[in-house]
Amino acid sequence: MSQEALLSLRQELRKCFRSLEASRTVWGSALEECSPLLSSLGNLAEQLRALKCVELLNTPLAKFPDLQERLQHKLTQAADTVLSKLTEKMDALQVVKDSISKQVFALFQLYEQNSDFLDLRSCVARSAISPSIADMLEWLQDAEYYYRVQYVQRSSLLQMLKPDDLTLMETAPKRWASLDSPSREERISDALFQVSFFLESE
Amino acid sequence: MDLTVLPPDLVDAGTQRCRLGPAVMEELRLKIGSPLLVLLPQGACLCTAWPRSDLADGYLQFQTTCTTPKLSVQMFPQPSGGKDTHDELNVNTAKLHLQRSQLKPLTCPHLKRLRVKVLVQSSQQKMTTSTRFIQELAKELLTGLYVHEKHLVNVAGAGTLVQFLEVENVNSGSHKAGLVTAETRLDLGSVQTVQRYQQPARRSPAVPLGGVEEVFASLKEMLEVPLRYPGSLKWLGLPCPRGALLVGPPGVGKTQLVRNVVQAVGAAFVTINGPVVMGSRPGESEENLRRAFAQAREAALEGPCVLFIDEIDALCPRRSASGSAPENRIVAQLLTLMDGIGSDESFIIIAATNQPDALDPALRRPGRFDREVVVGVPTLQQRFRILQSVSHSVPLSSSVNLRVLAEMTTGYVGADLSALCREAALQAILHTAQGRTEEMDGEGGSVGMEHFLSALRLVPPSCLRSSVGVSDFLPVSWERIGGLEDVKLKLKQSIEWPMKFPEALVRMGVRGPRGVLLYGPPGCAKTTLVKAAASASHCSFLTLSGAQLYSPYVGDSERTLAQLFRQARACSPSIVFLDEIDSMVGSRGDGGCRSGVQAQVLSVLLNELDGVGFKTTERRGSSKTMQTEGEEQETIQEKRMELQEVCNKDVMIVAATNRPDALDSALLRPGRLDHIIYVPPPEQQARLAILQLHTEKMPLDSDVNLKDLATQTHLFSGADLESLCKEAALLALQEEGMSVSTVQHQHFLKALQRVSPSLTAHQLLQYQLLFSSTLSCS
Amino acid sequence: MDGNHSEATTPGRKGNLTGSARKLKDDAADWHNLILKWDRLNDEGSTTATKIVNCRISEKSVKEPDVVEEDGSSVAASERRVNKSSQELQEECVNLQNIVDKMAHVLSKMEKMVSAEKGICELEMFQYGAKGRPAPLFQTWSTQQFAEVSSRLYEAYRQELALKQTILQELAHTANTDLSMVYLSSWLYQPYIEDSTKLLLESLLMETGHRTL
Repeated sequence: MSQEALLSLRQELRKCFRSLEASRTVWGSALEECSPLLSSLGNLAEQLRALKCVELLNTPLAKFPDLQERLQHKLTQAADTVLSKLTEKMDALQVVKDSISKQVFALFQLYEQNSDFLDLRSCVARSAISPSIADMLEWLQDAEYYYRVQYVQRSSLLQMLKPDDLTLMETAPKRWASLDSPSREERISDALFQVSFFLESE
Repeated sequence: MDLTVLPPDLVDAGTQRCRLGPAVMEELRLKIGSPLLVLLPQGACLCTAWPRSDLADGYLQFQTTCTTPKLSVQMFPQPSGGKDTHDELNVNTAKLHLQRSQLKPLTCPHLKRLRVKVLVQSSQQKMTTSTRFIQELAKELLTGLYVHEKHLVNVAGAGTLVQFLEVENVNSGSHKAGLVTAETRLDLGSVQTVQRYQQPARRSPAVPLGGVEEVFASLKEMLEVPLRYPGSLKWLGLPCPRGALLVGPPGVGKTQLVRNVVQAVGAAFVTINGPVVMGSRPGESEENLRRAFAQAREAALEGPCVLFIDEIDALCPRRSASGSAPENRIVAQLLTLMDGIGSDESFIIIAATNQPDALDPALRRPGRFDREVVVGVPTLQQRFRILQSVSHSVPLSSSVNLRVLAEMTTGYVGADLSALCREAALQAILHTAQGRTEEMDGEGGSVGMEHFLSALRLVPPSCLRSSVGVSDFLPVSWERIGGLEDVKLKLKQSIEWPMKFPEALVRMGVRGPRGVLLYGPPGCAKTTLVKAAASASHCSFLTLSGAQLYSPYVGDSERTLAQLFRQARACSPSIVFLDEIDSMVGSRGDGGCRSGVQAQVLSVLLNELDGVGFKTTERRGSSKTMQTEGEEQETIQEKRMELQEVCNKDVMIVAATNRPDALDSALLRPGRLDHIIYVPPPEQQARLAILQLHTEKMPLDSDVNLKDLATQTHLFSGADLESLCKEAALLALQEEGMSVSTVQHQHFLKALQRVSPSLTAHQLLQYQLLFSSTLSCS
Repeated sequence: MDGNHSEATTPGRKGNLTGSARKLKDDAADWHNLILKWDRLNDEGSTTATKIVNCRISEKSVKEPDVVEEDGSSVAASERRVNKSSQELQEECVNLQNIVDKMAHVLSKMEKMVSAEKGICELEMFQYGAKGRPAPLFQTWSTQQFAEVSSRLYEAYRQELALKQTILQELAHTANTDLSMVYLSSWLYQPYIEDSTKLLLESLLMETGHRTL
């Protein structure tokens, strides 16, 4: 019984890690598509600010009727377009995050169901080709948490952006970039690296 | 085996893992990731069990993600450091050991539903973010965590605007904790700022204030009415009151009062300290003011808020034509800000000052500071209440009578009384420390009356500190003055009776005299008599002599005198003693020989003696008394205290002179110095008493006949007699050598030849004739 | 071009249109192409204008430090750099001038179309009197409407060209970064070409059968 449970758990772990690996690439590419959008958003904010700062009546552009309003409208419109594109990207990220969460959650449930048959000693035992079950569970939980928090942070950053708050928009690209957490990302790739033998040893 | 608590691992930040050794986990029947409750002295913390990566037993690391609020108060991010909040507990957990029994495994179901309160960083975020988004955010942040009812979940590490989540209740039957899953339904209770949530938690326990119930109630009402009945106020078309000005001398507890009210109402509290706001850069002070108002406005969005301006006189001095521009600008800024408060905003401004006259008058009108609340120097009853509350936590021995203490502490304000209490406790400690060997019994730890009495000497009332006319003298008892029995009686009548038999005086419908003039030849114990009167009735005693009064500056003397009376009123009942009054004021009728200063001082004195009334800022207590507790045995005493208060509102003026003829007649009319007492030179009987007093400590030979001496010393004043005794003793030493054991009669006789009386019969006749035509004096 | 009313009575018919209908349909296609060309020029111009502004900014940042450095060699070096960049600036300005000239050329074509359509309107007036043609040439629009749409499109682009000419004159001479930024964004976002302008073009294309639903 215990052996059986252990085997099925290992199988499930492999599945989970594989899908994590796949999700990771999807996530990365979706994120990459976001950054040009954000920089153009920052650019637009900068232009809007410049427009606000310049007193057009004192410039050679004074002879053009309601230029200020027209330009403002154009710029805001452009910003809206960018924002809606970003929202689409966020939806893609959410799908990735949700699938990871679902997988990990299911895995934990499986473990819980079988935990009575699983000896704690065997769960913490490590071998040359395979990390311990506890370690792997931990890595998966960490990864799940990482993607969830990343999604939450990024979506709340976008949520706060309003076309009338220029400072926020201007700093958005920077803040977006600051949300990147290379060390955490690295830990996930470390974990994936460590389980590579385990994945092959089917 | 104990578990040593180590600081949490950075790797685990954001999770709620508790790292244990596998042996411990097995022993507690814990699986990987199963919930357990860590019980700490300060509170509990819900964690999930994970094996340590090094598999070492005997250590424990845990994340404080989900803890009881009390525990997490220590972990609230401090504004100064942008460090991770997880570091904050390190200090607390260092060197902490846990028993196994402090780890309690839990069985947790998946939650169907839970209700949380969200704490966000700033109210601006709260305003701009939709609740739906906050709800989603909260859900995302909680998913995968085990939560416990009434616990606070720290999600600041995720870096969103939501900092903490308080779990109000979990809906899963008898279980208090559970796992939040994607299927869990989350209800949003309320959204608050962290600052507001922290306020009640962080605030120091209120210092109970005695004797200010009325002011307290009035302020509380101001805060609560707009909060509780906004509808009816709107219906009546009333704008909410906007400001209150607290006026009172320093140390009566204005600031503490405001803090207490704020705490009682549960309002947010923003303070402006006058001197702190002032900046050196032009415009900086105004900016600071605006910032404080903006802060208050922000806090007011979430509930009632009090903006407290302490020492407003420093901030808003009276604008004058010659005043400096920056100050005028600040006043103008404050006025603008106060007028700018919308009537819908529920924040009020309370300002405190001890110099209301120094304020700009524009501030003191309805619409700005609508109410002015005078917190005066506490009256007898108020002092009693204050003493009750400040000595609440002090172990008092049965000898302490707070009522008597309250009587003795005229002029003490709240701060003085608490200082007094502290000093008394300190005295008690010193006392027990010194006499440790003999006093180790139960009484040793408590504070006795004698400690209070010695503390009284060390802690003078603050209204008398650094003021004119304060003198330190050794208490003199009536017995130390020989003879003069009827003069003593008169003085007792005017000073002691109102204190001791107030009900009798009220019954007979009489009031104590306003002033007493003692006159008589020099050296006849006038000053000593006053001292005795003052020490017998525990009054504040202020004295001023001509030398203190006069100064080279014009108007200075008058101001000094007026100040003396102001202080005397502040700490009434009090005795103002003007020695050698003739040299201070003189008489107006005497023509050119009197200086203008003296005439002015006289007019000030006349005014102070029966001026029209108190200035409003000197008001104390109130006419209606609060009848709080109705204990039977207390009522009689209470009544007595009330009566005492009624009779002792006044300042008693005692003047002494040996040239009564030089005084202005206006001073001597009834209502001013209405008791004029002649202090005669001692008669034979009195002289005997005086001699007995002065020879009490002298080894007298048996042949000394004091009675004989008394008959021989006609026209000797008390001072003369004292010096006679001294002379006799010195003579004895001179003639018999240093080893002499007794003073003999012959020494007295010899001394008598050397000392001549300072009075003459002619002088005495003059004194006796002076008032015999108009007043009958003894 | 006389007697072409007979063809007009068969609206929507594919094949050889002649006369006014032919002319109007060709014009619609021309509008489309001209606007495409304009947009291409606009993008080109935007790139050039950005270069000019960047030149100005780097020039300024070069100039400032050499006030501090009194060293002769560095002054010479920076002068060389300034010379080089000013040469570059000159080139870009010429480029931009060319672009604006091309845009003006596009606009002149547009103007011609507008006047031609006015002519068609007058012709109809002459042929059918004030009531106009009894049946529309294509789907629903009257000939008058074609003329109106054209002149509105022309008006928008005329205004835009005027703006661009102003920008061309001022761009290299402004020291104010904010103002340069406004110039750039007005160039790129073409404030006088509204959404309704685009909509007009689309409906024109649809009316003439270049676009189908």
